[in-house]
Amino acid sequence: MNMLDIKNLHASIEEDGTPILKGLDLSVKPGEVHAIMGPNGSGKSTLASVLAGRDGYEVTDGSVTYEGHDLLEMEADERAREGLFLAFQYPVELPGVSMSNFLRHAVNSVREHQGKDELSAADFLALMRENAALVNLDPALKARSVNEGFSGGEKKRNEIFQLAMLAPKLAILDETDSGLDIDALRVVSEGVNKLRGPERSFVVITHYQRLLEYIVPDVVHVLVDGRIVRSGDKQLALDLEEKGYDWLREDAGVPA
Amino acid sequence: MTRQKSLETTFIEAFDKDLGLLPSDDSDAWTSSQRQAIRTFADTGFPRPKSEAYKYTPVTRWIGDTPLLQTPGPVSATRLPLSELPGVHLKTVNGQLASAPEQLPEGLTVLTLRSALETHPELVRQHLKRVSEGTSSDVFGTLAAAFAPDGLFIHIAPGAVLPEPVYIHHAAVSPDAFIQPRMLVVAGENSEAHIVEHFPEADAGSVFENRIVGVDVAMRARLKHLVVYERGARARFVNGLYVEQKGESVFSTNNMTLGGALVRNNLHFVPDGEHCETHLNGLYIARGGAHVDNYTLVDHVKPNCFSNELFKGIVEGGSTGVFNGKVMVRQDAQKINAYQSSKSIVMDDRSHVYAKPELEIYADDVRCSHGATTGELDDEALFYLRSRGIPEKTARLILLEAFARDVVDLISLKEVRTYLNTRLGQLLAD
Ligand SMILES: Nc1ncnc2c1ncn2[C@@H]1O[C@H](COP(=O)(O)OP(=O)(O)O)[C@@H](O)[C@H]1O
Ligand SMILES: [Mg+2]
Repeated sequence: MNMLDIKNLHASIEEDGTPILKGLDLSVKPGEVHAIMGPNGSGKSTLASVLAGRDGYEVTDGSVTYEGHDLLEMEADERAREGLFLAFQYPVELPGVSMSNFLRHAVNSVREHQGKDELSAADFLALMRENAALVNLDPALKARSVNEGFSGGEKKRNEIFQLAMLAPKLAILDETDSGLDIDALRVVSEGVNKLRGPERSFVVITHYQRLLEYIVPDVVHVLVDGRIVRSGDKQLALDLEEKGYDWLREDAGVPA
Repeated sequence: MTRQKSLETTFIEAFDKDLGLLPSDDSDAWTSSQRQAIRTFADTGFPRPKSEAYKYTPVTRWIGDTPLLQTPGPVSATRLPLSELPGVHLKTVNGQLASAPEQLPEGLTVLTLRSALETHPELVRQHLKRVSEGTSSDVFGTLAAAFAPDGLFIHIAPGAVLPEPVYIHHAAVSPDAFIQPRMLVVAGENSEAHIVEHFPEADAGSVFENRIVGVDVAMRARLKHLVVYERGARARFVNGLYVEQKGESVFSTNNMTLGGALVRNNLHFVPDGEHCETHLNGLYIARGGAHVDNYTLVDHVKPNCFSNELFKGIVEGGSTGVFNGKVMVRQDAQKINAYQSSKSIVMDDRSHVYAKPELEIYADDVRCSHGATTGELDDEALFYLRSRGIPEKTARLILLEAFARDVVDLISLKEVRTYLNTRLGQLLAD
């Protein structure tokens, strides 16, 4: 069974009805890493938002099946408890909510859903420590408010840290590389690579080919104007780096 | 003529029946000050519908036509006092000291206000006069001064540093009664103290507590004050606090309004000396159609002072929150730093918040700022929490607690913070 099956997905902005996704197909098998590349504004984050269940978008056609279930029927928090994770392009600051409180709630919500007991305080702290080390995050951050006063790089590493804490089945990384310098990029990528496994799939959204040198994808897709216009292996990412997107736009009959 | 007229008459007639309106030669200082107060009340009258200060909160609407001025059979609070809190524990019934306190630390005096007329005549007479004439109270405080049978007097001797708080547990009130307590707190020069007042939930129906508190903070004194109000869903409270600070003193007050159908905090500060510091903070949760109004005035009459104000509110279930914060900087009050901020979260479209910050500045070399925000819970933040598997209800609670924590964190007593965080969790969860 596929981890994720997206068929003919059409989605628009709820407020004004502007169509963004215009017939998108994508299938991801367990353990696979798929990269989605595409120019700014092509709908990459919209896809991530629709998958994660963010309000403000309306699915007008098509279907999304996650592990055999209709994903679109589930609430955002239910999706997360079922093992879907979104690393945000723009992580949100939560003043007054400490990292440890936030993650304790998150981890235990997922565990409860899986029929597991709450983690003991000691086990939880050990898990925090271990996963913070994975992405080189200062363990002292547990007392700080979520993302408040974090540098751009810290915010992105924090997303991967949370990914590690929640151990999802399907992780969507939305431009986790943007704003990272080369060292941070390496740290984040190594973290992600350690989290790869036969049961865990990744959809890695990126604007640059650079990230894919570190996180080597099984499949690369190009998203232009709300549709996947081409799929290939990692060579496709290199071609894009060289030629840009315009040749694909013309192929797909989309005005540049 | 109008209903208002008759309500005032109701009070005046009730007073006249008990104490008589006319001055008499043989009356003591207390009774004369009561008579002065009822005359001031009669002259002023309740706020008119167009009154600027009361336009969002027509208090008389919550008084009804026949205020119950007798106080039969007080009932005790249903919630336990903060018994783990160290320090002196005092208890009041209908605002009056329940029993003479034993074993006070050196430098602390606790008396009824009438007995303090004997021991500290200057201080008390001056206070009675100011309230009765309406210079240190508005019309509700004056009314309280007319009816209060006695009051509470707390005195911290010059130089005394109280290591532990003075906890006033307003433990019992008469159901549905109109109660008018009063209190005077005097912090002597160089003294230091922390006063915690607690109005716990009580099965007292629509009890109305209309109180007036005077606070005198002498030179270089440091006084902290906290009010935790959590009476029942029909209770009413007008809380008049009038503070006068002398030079280099520091005063802070924190008002936690967690209960009641009507709460009006009248918080009034005059830093009447240079280099004063004034902190006024508050948090309110208005639920189930409640109406909570924080009306504050900081009147900077002297230069080189600092004041800071933070009020936060969570309003839900068809409730109303009002913040009316005024900062006045008089012409001679140069080099003032005065900051004010009010933030509220409106949980549904049946609830409303009116925020009215007012800066009135007549000096030219000052730094003042104010900011007022009113909004819903942040959707982005809510989604972020939910995207981590946290159910919506829990996610809301986490955000509301974080919002409220700012104000709770300003309280220096750990026991009180713990108590409030638990209570806030309970209140916000349902
Ligand atoms: N919530 C929204 N409201 C209005 N417009 C939106 C919203 N989300 C996305 N868009 C618009 O949809 C288009 C695609 O945006 P997005 O999915 O963020 O692209 P990408 O991530 O590929 O850069 C853009 O034109 C963007 O302005
Ligand atoms: Mg994007």
